Amino acid sequence: MKIGIKVLEDGGILFEGIDSLLFTMLSQIRPSAELDDPRVEARFYQVPSHDPEAEALREDWKAFVQPDLHSGFAASRETVDADLRRSHEDKTGLRSLLIPRRHIDHWLSALNQARLALSEFHGFSETEMGRQINDLDDPREYALLQVSIYGLMQEWLVSLLD
Amino acid sequence: MAALDTPEIETKDKADLDSVWNVVVHNDPVNLMSYVAMVFRRVFGFPREKAERHMMEVHKSGRSIVWSGCREQAELYVQQLHSHLLLATLEKAPNQ
Repeated sequence: MKIGIKVLEDGGILFEGIDSLLFTMLSQIRPSAELDDPRVEARFYQVPSHDPEAEALREDWKAFVQPDLHSGFAASRETVDADLRRSHEDKTGLRSLLIPRRHIDHWLSALNQARLALSEFHGFSETEMGRQINDLDDPREYALLQVSIYGLMQEWLVSLLD
Repeated sequence: MAALDTPEIETKDKADLDSVWNVVVHNDPVNLMSYVAMVFRRVFGFPREKAERHMMEVHKSGRSIVWSGCREQAELYVQQLHSHLLLATLEKAPNQ
């Protein structure tokens, strides 16, 4: 698989030659980030302080900050999903995907959400995340590949913003 | 005409206002090093070298104090770090 990447004059990024396996994986960013699991919930919505004197802060955080975080995370996932829905499939079955410049931060957020959610859900250790992936029919192995591919994409987007 | 409710006013004692609070970022195995450094640059306006120094401290020591000062500002920074999904807390600075 050879993917063409073009940085457009307006700062947008055009990916060309995306095959069905990669496209499926990208389409799973949103559902992966929306995994319904208490460990994922706890990772996304942390307490701001463990200080015994900060009980009121923890309550305020839950009431006022977490709803804002929730909307921000959801907006990023929706943006990524919309960009993917707008992607174009050519006659050979390969797809091109345009990420507008103003959507890059949403992609970074959604990719990060998906990586963190999958890692929490499957309990991946740091060592495990560096190991070779064997059987893609195994959901845990597949999730490991997702974390790795999303990480590569995130790394690339960060380098582009540098 | 309806009577106005008395607004609830939260007061902070002087000791709390005088306290110094640290913004601490904790290590996690998932966030990419380049991403963490980028977030430090964005949130705190750190130059690249300083951002990378703190990122390496988080990676090697498990935590780094990235900012110290008044509680209100520390809360804002922690909120911004949480919005980027970094593990971050505020802690009252010791020995005061």
